[in-house]
This record gives sequence, C-alpha cells and structure tokens, in this order.
Amino acid sequence: MMKILVVDDEESIRLLYKEELEEDGFVVELAKDGLEALKQVPLFRPDLITLDIKMPGLNGIETLKRIREMERRVPIVMCSAYGEYKQDLTTWASDAYVVKCADLTELKNTIRRLLRLL
Amino acid sequence: MSIHPDGYDLLKTAIKLSSSSLPIETKLETMLRSITDGFQSDRSLHLPPEAISKEGFLSRVAERRKPLWVDETAPFQEEGVLPEERNLLCSSFACIPLSDETSFQGIFYIGFSKARTFSSGEVDLLRLLAKEIGAAIRNDQLHRVAEETISEWTALHEMGKAVASTLKLEELFELILNTGRKILKAKGGVLRIEEAGTGDLKVKSRIGDYHQTPLDERMAHRVYFSRTPFSLSRKGREKSFLSLLCVPLISKDRSFGTLAFYDKESDPSRFDQRDLQLLLTMANQMSCAIDNAMTHHEISVMAQDHEKNVRQLSTLMELNRALLTTVNFERIVHVTLTAITIGDGLGFNRAMLFLVNDKDRVLEGTMAVGPNSAEEAGEVWSAFSQRKGNPSELIAQIGSSTENHSVLNSLVKGIQIPLEHEQCILSRTVLEGRPFNIGVPHDEEEWLQTRCERGCHLGSEVGCYVSEHLSRDPKIYAFATIPLWGKGKVIGVILVDNLYNRNPITEEDIRYLTMFSNQAGLAIENAMLYRNLEEVHRELKEAQSFLVHQEKMAALGELSTSVAHEIRNPLVSIGGFARRLDRTLPADASEKRYAQTIVKEVKRLEKILSHILTYTHEEPVALKELDLREVMEESLSMISEGLRNGGIQFTKDFSEKVPRVKGDYYQLKQAFFNLISNAYESMNGKGRLSVRIHPLLKNGSSFVRVEVEDTGAGIDPESLHHIFNPFYTTKDDRLGLGLSIVHKTVAFHQGQIEVNNHPGKGVTFLLTLPAQEEKQR
Repeated sequence: MMKILVVDDEESIRLLYKEELEEDGFVVELAKDGLEALKQVPLFRPDLITLDIKMPGLNGIETLKRIREMERRVPIVMCSAYGEYKQDLTTWASDAYVVKCADLTELKNTIRRLLRLL
Repeated sequence: MSIHPDGYDLLKTAIKLSSSSLPIETKLETMLRSITDGFQSDRSLHLPPEAISKEGFLSRVAERRKPLWVDETAPFQEEGVLPEERNLLCSSFACIPLSDETSFQGIFYIGFSKARTFSSGEVDLLRLLAKEIGAAIRNDQLHRVAEETISEWTALHEMGKAVASTLKLEELFELILNTGRKILKAKGGVLRIEEAGTGDLKVKSRIGDYHQTPLDERMAHRVYFSRTPFSLSRKGREKSFLSLLCVPLISKDRSFGTLAFYDKESDPSRFDQRDLQLLLTMANQMSCAIDNAMTHHEISVMAQDHEKNVRQLSTLMELNRALLTTVNFERIVHVTLTAITIGDGLGFNRAMLFLVNDKDRVLEGTMAVGPNSAEEAGEVWSAFSQRKGNPSELIAQIGSSTENHSVLNSLVKGIQIPLEHEQCILSRTVLEGRPFNIGVPHDEEEWLQTRCERGCHLGSEVGCYVSEHLSRDPKIYAFATIPLWGKGKVIGVILVDNLYNRNPITEEDIRYLTMFSNQAGLAIENAMLYRNLEEVHRELKEAQSFLVHQEKMAALGELSTSVAHEIRNPLVSIGGFARRLDRTLPADASEKRYAQTIVKEVKRLEKILSHILTYTHEEPVALKELDLREVMEESLSMISEGLRNGGIQFTKDFSEKVPRVKGDYYQLKQAFFNLISNAYESMNGKGRLSVRIHPLLKNGSSFVRVEVEDTGAGIDPESLHHIFNPFYTTKDDRLGLGLSIVHKTVAFHQGQIEVNNHPGKGVTFLLTLPAQEEKQR
C-alpha cells in the first residue's frame, strides 16, 4: 500500500484529497502546514507528497527545500491555485506541478505516473 | 543815234513798277522788256550774283563796281572771257553792276547787234534804270528777310509759349522738332538726350528723314561732348546735297543732348549762317524747358514709383494680415495662392505650389489656384471687379466659400518631381534657391535649352498639360518660378504664369512676388510645424490614454489574480465533493442532478478564472518569428466546426507573400480566436465572415495587416469606447475578456488596432503588426 502525505492549509481540500485518494487505494496522512509536514515525513515515511504552495508559516517552497534536505528521493507534487510558478518546477526540485482543479483527474494521473503505477 | 525820245516815260514806268506790289520776277521781266523795247535793243538781262562765274569778265565788272560800256568808240578789251560769257559779247553792249555800299544784286546787261555808240543821255538813262532795278531787287530782298524774320520770331514765340504750357516730355520734343523744321525748312530732325547713368546719347524724338548713319552718331557725340555747334553741307554720292545742322542742348552749364536738322527743302539744300544762328537761339531757349521737363519727368516717375511701392507694401500688409488669420495648413496655402492670383493682390493668372518632401527628395504638387480656361478667367475677373473691400477681406471670403476642385489643382496634386531632376526648372529653383523668369523663348535653340528631357518646357506635367490642353504650343508659354523660403532653407517652389491675359512677367513682378512669398513661406512653414505639433500632440494624448489604460489593467490584473486564487481553493473542494456526490448517488436519485449542476457550474467558474489569469499574463511569453497566416489557420481550426454548420459564409484572403512577425504564438492564436469567435457570435448564424492578411508599407516600414470582418450587428456607438475594457460585454453569458485580450496582445506586439464600425451592418477589426526586419540586409 502506497502512502501519500497531503500538505494543505485548507481543511476542505485535505478532506477531499484524503477521501479521493483512499478510494483509489492509497494510505493518506494529512498535514495542515509546512512545519507539521516536516514532522510527519520521518514518522510516516510517505511514498509521495502533495504540497500546497501558499500556506501560513512555512510556505510550500520552503517546505519543499527542507523535505529535500532529509528525504531526497520521495516524489513531490506541487499543488497550487497559482499557475505562474509552473516554470520554476525544476529549480525547486519538485517532480510535478499541478494547478488545483475540482476535477482531480490530472492530479491522480500525475501521482500514478510518479509512483509508476501506470 | 539820238536819245530815245521816251526816256521820261521809260523811267516813269520803271519807278511805277519798282514801287508796285507785283512779285519781283514780274517786276524785273516787265522792266527789262520795256527797256529792251524803249532802246530797241536785242535784249536786256538781269544777271543775279549766283549766275556770275568767278574769273570771267563779268566778275571783274562786279568787283570794280563800275559799268562797262562797249560801242564803236570803246571796243571790248577785256581778257579772260569764259565760254558761257561769249554769247553776251556783241557789237555794242553795257554791263552795269547793281550795288550800293553794302550789297550787290547782280549786273544789268543790255546788248545791241548793230554797232552803235552810247550817248551821254543814254548812259545816264541806263544808269538810272539800273539803279531802279537794283533798288527793286534790294527792296524785295529786304522785304523777304523782314517777313521771314517776323515769321521765325513768331514761330519761336509760339514755341516758347507752347513749351511753357507743357511738362510732358514727349509732347515737348515733338513740338520742338516740328517748330524747328518749320523755321529751318528742313526735311528732318532728331533730338538726342543723354541716358541717365550711362551718359550715352539716345534718340528721344525724330521727325521726317534723317541720316541714320554711324557718321551721324559720331557727329552728335562730338557736338555733345565739345558743346560746339556743327554744320555740314556736302555733296552726297547721288549728287544730292547732304546737309545738317547740329547744336548742343546746354542747361545750367551742362550739356545734356543735341538737336539736329537735316537737308533743307530748298534746292540746293544748304543751311546758312542764319539758320545756324536761329537754331542756336532756339536750342538756348529750349534747353531750359527740356531740362525742367526732364526733371519734372524724373520726379513724377519717382513719385509714381513711390506710390507704387506704398501700394505694394500696403497690399503686402493686407495679404500678410490674411495669412495671419489662420494656422491651418490647407487654408494658408490656399490664401497664399489666392493672394498671388487676385487682381488686387499680385495679379498673376495662375499660381501653383510645390513643396519639398525632404524624406523622399521630391517636389510634391500641393495646390494650384487659377481658372481652367480663358472664359472662366474672364468671369472670375469681372466678378472680382464688382466686389468691394480690401484684399484681406476678399481672400477671407474666398478661402472659406470655395472648395478648390479645379482641374488644375487636381493635376498639380498628382505631380511628383525628383529633386535630382536637374533639368527641371522647378527642381533647379529649389536647388539654386533663386527665381527663374522664363519668358517666351526667342528661337528654337533657346526653347531646347529650357526644355527637359521628357520634352516638356517645365520638366513636369504642368508644362506638358499646358501645351496639350491650353496653350497648344508650349513654345509660347511663359512662366516664372520662385523659391519658397522657410527658416534658412527652401521649402518649396511657387510657379506663376499669365496664361490667359499674356501679360509679360517683369523683374518687378518677380521682386514683388519674392517679397510676398518670403512672408508666405514662413507662414506655410509655421502651419506645417503646427500641423506636426498637432499630430504629435494627438499621438501623445493617445499614448497617454493608452498608458492610463495599461495602468488600470495592471491594477485590475493584480486584484483579479489574488481574487482568482482565493476563489480557486474553495472551488476545488466544492467541485471535488460534488463529483464525489455525483459518483456515489444512485442514478435515479434527484440529488444526483443537483450534484451534477454544481460540478458543471464549478467547471464554468474555473474556466472563467483561467481566462482572467491568462489576461493578467500568467503564462510565460515565448517570442518567435511567426507566419501570421499559419497562426490564423490554427485559430480558424479551433472554430471551424462552428463555421461549417449554419448559414455563415466564410471567405479567406491571404496575400502570397506576407513578412514574418516576431511574436508569441499562443497569445496571437488566442487573440485571433477571440476576434473570429466574436464575429461568429455577432452574426447569429447568418452572414458573411471575411478574414484577410496582407503586407502593408507605412512610413517606409513594413507591417502585416490582419482584418476580420463580419456582417453582424456591429457595435453600439456608445459601447465603442468600452469594448477593450476587460469585463465589458454586451453578451449576457460572457465575461467580456475577449476583446481586451486582443487589445493587450496587439499592444504587447507593438501593433495597432482599429475598428471600422457600421452599427447594424457589421464591423471590421484591423490589426497592424510590425513585420520582422528582413534578413538580407
């Protein structure tokens, strides 16, 4: 069972992602901000992380850097309402960038691709 | 031989005849006949002084002043008898000189074929008779001289009176020559006056015949310089006498001309001392009058000049005032040319203006004013002569009331002459910066010299046109060109002619025209600058409003970006859970439909959000060299299904060669798509949609023009100002970002967008995008 850590400051988003991804057979753990995510990573040891960018406290980009310091390999999908950071994807060393959308097909496809489930 | 018994009668008859009023010839003839009869002689003669040849015996008798008696007692002993005197020699004869102390009237001769002796009584009687003959001749001569003198002095007096009555030079000269000829009985006369400045003598007036020879000229100069009278009488080649009298005209101790008379009417033609004296008297008397008249003439010429100058200056002032009434370029040019052509202004028949286009180095026909035909010219002039007012008022009336639609004007407007075309007078006027006054050429060679290689007298179509339509023969076409000066440089050329009234163009006209055009040039240049200023001002205003618009958009963009992001998160969860609901609800549950509605509406909201974010330029830009035709094809393919069905007729017109444009493929594709889909939607499924792409040259730069035309409802004029504002829409179900994206895209590509709006008929959007510089350079 693949484990996914969903990091987002919006509770409704976290809930939606959890239900959708669990339905697809993933084990889902949630974090409401960057600091919580940094605590979760060594404990939960996720196979993939979805990371919001605009968050209070530690934002997604800072969080991404910190996670990479302790866990180099785990795939990270940046998941944001902003489209304009897309081109900086490689600079930030994330693996994918998905603009948030009510239709989760793109996100799910990206996850499956990164976990080589497709 | 006895004394003639009728001696007393003879004397009585002679005295009676002598004191009678008969002409001298009759007197002499009758006297001589009665003497011949009374003495029963063969003949008696009166030998006048001019009939007595020198060296003969008669001359000696005349010299001695003593009678010669030849008879039986005193034979003829004189020597040196001339052949013509031989027939006077007979048996007995007498020669009695007719003379008093001062004068000599010839010789009285009486001859007898029979030898005889003169008795002392006869001698006395003959002497008395001779005396009477002499007295009769003398009296007659005195009488004649007195009469002549009286008539001469009367003539001089009359002349003096007449001369004092006129100050007109021509009249005066004529009067002097007429009177002089009458007094001197000459065949002709000439009056010469020195030219002011050069000092050359010039014939001012003449009468009858005179010897127009170099010799005559030299003679006149000699008299003029030496101030000494000159008289000449010589036999000409044809044995006729050439004689002349020439006296200097001297006033205030200065010689200023000569007066000469030729050939006396009498035969032989010979002026005597008396004639010379008379002429001198006359010349003295006339010189002062002539000098005064000349001074008067000079003064009146100066006064006329002065008056003319004043008139010209005041006209110039009026014209300048007219020029000052406006800064409108067209009007200034029109006023200038009208001023040149109206009678109260400079009075030329036609005037044309050509302005220098510095960029292209050509002269461009700008405007022409003048009638199209001689008939029209007549109408215009007579209409003008009835109008009252000063030139500036007249010009003000014309300028505003008549549009310039003349044939000449449209012809001139089409003319372009390269400045390098040095054979053309117009170009030369600019290059050399001086006027040309091209009169009617005198001969073929001169005509060829002023003609251009195209065969035109002017070097442009003006001349060709004139020759073809108006003048038939350009060789008789006279015109003048003057440069139009702006500040320190020639900005154009004015061409004037007098095609209709054929008045010659004088240097004076050119000078006057130059004075005026110097003013007009500055006014025209100012108007041009003003026009440019207006243009620049308009552009600045446009740029300003564009910047304001951009500023607004930027602010709006920032706001909408943050709003969009804030909205996006809740939308994700609303839409996401609605999808979950939709999936989990059974197909027949009524809630399933609610969930589906939520999903659909969220989808729409998300689409709007992405539109807004596109507008605020979220996406990165990639500039590439693009073929706009390909971009358009792509946009068309996005909508082609819509185009295919329904009653929309679609036409596509792309030029074969269209330069590339440097731009962003996606932005342009989106912009074109928006235009097409707007057009498509405006027609409600019925109409014609045309898309055109062409290259365009503007101000020497290369552009690509994209046109999208529809036959839809057009744009409500009140909305026209807002169509490029984001969120402005007339379509209820749309957000209205379409055209603002087009506008933004075009602005980003440094292009321009125009709208040709015909409410109710359709609308055309014209996009002008700068083309990529061609690489071969």
